[in-house]
Amino acid sequence: MPGKSFLHRLDPRTKIIGLMAVSFCILKVSSFEIMLLISIIFSILVIACHLPTIHFARSVRPMLPFFIFIFLMQLLFTEGSPLFEFGLLTGTYEGFLLGSILALRFIFLILFAALITATTSPAGITAGVERLLRPLPIRYVGISSHDLAMMMSLSLYFVPMLFDSFRDLRDAQISRGLDIKKEPVKAIMSLTVPLVRMSLRSVNEVALAMESRCYTGEGRSSMYLLEFRLSDYALLVLYCMLLFLLCI
Amino acid sequence: MSVEVADVSFFYNKGTSLEKKALDKVSFSIAKGEFILITGEVGSGKSTLVRHLNGLLKPHSGSVRINGIDSTSKKLRSKIGLLMQYPQRQLFGKTVFEDVSFGPSNFGLKDEELNERVSASLTLAGLSHDIADLSPFSLSGGQMRLVALAGVLSMRPEYLILDEPTSGLDPENRASLFSTLSHLKGRRISVIVVSHQIYDFLPFADKILLLKNGCVDFIGSRDEYLQSIASPIPEITSFMKELQKCGFEVTSNIYSVDDAFNEIIRALGSNGVNENE
Repeated sequence: MPGKSFLHRLDPRTKIIGLMAVSFCILKVSSFEIMLLISIIFSILVIACHLPTIHFARSVRPMLPFFIFIFLMQLLFTEGSPLFEFGLLTGTYEGFLLGSILALRFIFLILFAALITATTSPAGITAGVERLLRPLPIRYVGISSHDLAMMMSLSLYFVPMLFDSFRDLRDAQISRGLDIKKEPVKAIMSLTVPLVRMSLRSVNEVALAMESRCYTGEGRSSMYLLEFRLSDYALLVLYCMLLFLLCI
Repeated sequence: MSVEVADVSFFYNKGTSLEKKALDKVSFSIAKGEFILITGEVGSGKSTLVRHLNGLLKPHSGSVRINGIDSTSKKLRSKIGLLMQYPQRQLFGKTVFEDVSFGPSNFGLKDEELNERVSASLTLAGLSHDIADLSPFSLSGGQMRLVALAGVLSMRPEYLILDEPTSGLDPENRASLFSTLSHLKGRRISVIVVSHQIYDFLPFADKILLLKNGCVDFIGSRDEYLQSIASPIPEITSFMKELQKCGFEVTSNIYSVDDAFNEIIRALGSNGVNENE
């Protein structure tokens, strides 16, 4: 999403490292107070950057059944003081706490990742990942950080394309009378076969197009210029302090 | 029995910062058996408009009624066939038969009746019956398209919508498509074609609709269209005009070579020249 806010202007590397630091915090804490603090920080960031809340609701929605499942499993199968009984199942107080913490963790992980993708262009993310991976010794096993970053950016570009193809296909089959709710098996067959065929084909086309333009992967520069500013350095120091505090 | 599009407006991403108006108060009607050509620049809303005609999209304001029923009703699905752009992509069946029978079987057809439908629509699409047992993926791109066309025709639609049906077709399969179109015209099936290739479809078109930025820029008969909009008139039409200038008594509103041939024969005949000469 385009914009000129504080988060938009940060270096992608700072945001990626920040995301890792925040994820570490989220996974490490198990108290509601800190969860509350995290949610306040998140809300401030969203409001300060003028981002539409609907974007975040959409990013969590597809995973919601999974979170509810985790919550229920914890609620019903943790031992402790009973909260309620439902037939053979007993919900416990401890289970309730554990379940909500776990579900909140996953939700916040997704929300923060959505915050980064909403304020960084795909090119920025790719350039940032590439630069951050460069010190790793993966080139000794034949992989360059550039290859990894290119793979990542290509998969990012393919997501909207796949989505478009899927929508067209769904429309085409619905026009031919397919009722997705009534006949799910038929729907899966008539949608996946062409979708897989189409994506293999377009992947092949992209590979050929890259090769015909002499793509080698080595020594390419990026359209996106990475640049650390004062705010980036300040934030990196802040992350270090935060992580240090968490560890002791 | 007609399609009535009244004041239809549609927005993409409505209610977000990316909101974009795709259709702006579009109104027109299509009578039964009429052939209408929808044209306009890329992004002028052609594909969005045809998706309204079979209820895939719902207008944000205005209404689309087909035979008096709202277009989003599922009952209408079998009455309106839509062949999308690059329809060869929608094929999935293990055999051509399976794919062509997908539509009618979704509407509850079985056995004998289904067989009959499939073979009739293969014939109508100009395909041989031998391919029915082949995998659709073993065919050429052009033939795959015709199979997709047969898959829509097999629902026996009253209205057939074709989105860019000629793009990327070789001459042979094009000829096949055009002969299917003239058959359909003979059967009084309404055909709605979306295309940039205006002159390809002029011989068929009863009406032409030109969209511009989501608005109706022009709607009328092909003669009106050629007089008011088209700057380069089709070659065959300008040829007939030249003949007229040279003193031959021929009409110049002719859009296909066949019609031109017949018209010249007629003109010669009325001047006392025998057809066989």
